[in-house]
Amino acid sequence: MSNEIERIGELLEKLQSPDFYNREEAVIELGSHQEDEAVAGLVMALEDVDLGIRELAADYLVKIKGDVASQLLIKFLGSEDIGSRNLASEILVKIGDGAVNALIDELDNDDHDVRKFVVDILGLIKYKDSAKKVAGKLHDSNINVVCSAAEALGEIGSESALPSLIEAFKSNEDVRLQVVESLGKIGGTKSLNYLIEYLQTDDPMILFAVIDAIGIVGDRNSVEHLIKFLSSDDTSIAEATMSAIVNISIQNKGALDYDLPLDKFVGFLFDGVKNKNKKLTKFTLNRLKHWYGQDVLNSLLEVLHYVDEEDLKSTVKMLGEIGAPASPTILKQFKNATSELKIIYLNILKQYVDEDIAKHLLEYKNDSDPEVRRNIAFTLGASGSQVMIDPLKVMTQDRDGHVRAAAFSALGWLCCENDIDFLFNGLNDRYPDVRDAVMGALILLGSQEVVNSFFEDLSNEDTERQRIAATALGLIGDPNVVEPLLQALNHPESSIRKSAIDSLAKIRDVENTDPLMLALNDENSGVRKSACTALIYIKGQTVIPEIRFLLDDQDLWVRYHMINMIGNSNNSAYGDYIRPFIDGTEDILKIAAIKALAKIGYKDALSDISKLQDDINQDIVKAAKNAINNLQEA
Amino acid sequence: MEITKKEENSVAILSLKGRLDLASGAGLKEEIKALMSKEKNQIHLNLADVDFINSSGLGVLVSIMKEIRLQKGRLTLSDLASYVQEIFEITQLSHIFEIFTSESEAITSYQSVSAG
Repeated sequence: MSNEIERIGELLEKLQSPDFYNREEAVIELGSHQEDEAVAGLVMALEDVDLGIRELAADYLVKIKGDVASQLLIKFLGSEDIGSRNLASEILVKIGDGAVNALIDELDNDDHDVRKFVVDILGLIKYKDSAKKVAGKLHDSNINVVCSAAEALGEIGSESALPSLIEAFKSNEDVRLQVVESLGKIGGTKSLNYLIEYLQTDDPMILFAVIDAIGIVGDRNSVEHLIKFLSSDDTSIAEATMSAIVNISIQNKGALDYDLPLDKFVGFLFDGVKNKNKKLTKFTLNRLKHWYGQDVLNSLLEVLHYVDEEDLKSTVKMLGEIGAPASPTILKQFKNATSELKIIYLNILKQYVDEDIAKHLLEYKNDSDPEVRRNIAFTLGASGSQVMIDPLKVMTQDRDGHVRAAAFSALGWLCCENDIDFLFNGLNDRYPDVRDAVMGALILLGSQEVVNSFFEDLSNEDTERQRIAATALGLIGDPNVVEPLLQALNHPESSIRKSAIDSLAKIRDVENTDPLMLALNDENSGVRKSACTALIYIKGQTVIPEIRFLLDDQDLWVRYHMINMIGNSNNSAYGDYIRPFIDGTEDILKIAAIKALAKIGYKDALSDISKLQDDINQDIVKAAKNAINNLQEA
Repeated sequence: MEITKKEENSVAILSLKGRLDLASGAGLKEEIKALMSKEKNQIHLNLADVDFINSSGLGVLVSIMKEIRLQKGRLTLSDLASYVQEIFEITQLSHIFEIFTSESEAITSYQSVSAG
């Protein structure tokens, strides 16, 4: 022990060193000692010139949490140096319950500033049992200490302090605001009853605080006592009441059965939205379903771009549900709106747009912002009105590719059977997104004429048109496209043959699979792989014995693909087909076979796979180990 | 195509299974018509088990959507398989349909205005 004391003495000396690192080492080592002298050293280090040392010492003191540390720290509360005083307060709050006794001992300190700090800290620690002692300070000779005590009792939140607070409210005018605030924080029926009683005050400042505190308590039954203040001539009282009701509403998940004169508070509520006040925004937006007078809609449409993404989404939805009554206001404001707002408005209108609304929007089809024009095109299409076909056709000539694409997509929704030639011309657009949009529109039409035209396109001199035709025929997906697709398997372009096979795989309802069987011998390996997949999709895994010759394909990736398809079959009967690959020379196929055999639960290969655990290729070792685990569990 | 029906928070939920084409689409249209005759016009379609949809199937969905809109109702879709999602993207139908990742997300959206 004496050695330890000696060492601490050395460390305390080291704390005086001009060298930062020496002092830092001293603090670190002092932090590992429990002796009071070491704690005193750490407290001393709180006055170090270097912030890093001070913070390091503070961290150790928080960890120690002892009475001695607290007592020494309290001494700093009387310091004239604000930095030291704040740091000590901060540490004491972090020490928490462990510092309470030492703090209570200082409640009668001669220095009223220290008493005030002690009360503040006790409030922040929120230790319930300290309430009685803090309540005693409501009679302190210094008014600052009294006010701090009233505030701290609210932070501590113990109902046991209520009699003292009520007595203070009666006897001391200077502490009333703090008492009211604390009653709100303490909450509960008793506090609420006192607050309701205080609503009779003549002092507007106190009334304001009482209303606010009732809002914080959040009891839905208190609304009936507040409602009369909504019609107060004093705007600040009326708005404070509205704000308190909003608070209560939010805490009760909107379950308030009162008719509120919301129209009187349009400006107040929407200013709240504009200022990003979360509670006011939530309350206001959620009332819109039943509250959408002209003023409300005007205000709402003006603040929409202040609302966060989630609220905006639900508000747009709500405005969509309000539907037609909102549209005249939206259309009126559209002209002078920013591009951002125009797009929001269009998203609202798109939910219920009809021919009349669409006609109004035609005025903006040449808006300077292409994003607005693009959304106009979608909205015109969403109207379902055939009258919009011609304006949309004009928009397909827009200088901006995104607008052209939107116009073609929208034309597709309007199903203009007579305009197939017009749409097919769009497939020559220089912009791929436009060509895809045209393809989408034609897929939606999906008529026999469209199928025939796409079939012709399979022989178009432009390979892009051929690709689109093969893809589109698959997505049209009617039985009448199967034959053209099967014929496309003889197409000279391998990419077309592949697209046609991929399309057949999607349709699945293919009776004649002979052309697909032939495609297994196609000169192009990609076509052979697609044919393998398509046959398994169409005929099921029973086709595997018939197509197993692909395991001997000249192309490694075809063999690899076939192994994987067998792995996906979930049938161990096919294990014999791929077992030989375990002893093969190509590592990639070896790994694929190991995985596939494990997947189908082919236990006969267990001993062969076990031998691969010593392979020099770590990927093989890993695959083998995983497979052994899987097979043993199976 | 199989259609399973249930109701949650006043939203009729139809889970579809199989191929959505002209033939099966007619059955779906009938189901929707029956619901709307009972004034149930908040309808959700779960497409998780729809493994194929063609032009005619899309046409059926578009006409159902138009009908529900006309009745001031709401139609939502969810759980689109990758193939179905692909065709919705190509046709840009996502601009006129309300599509959700999951059924629960869609049903929650029907209640988005109830709290506050």
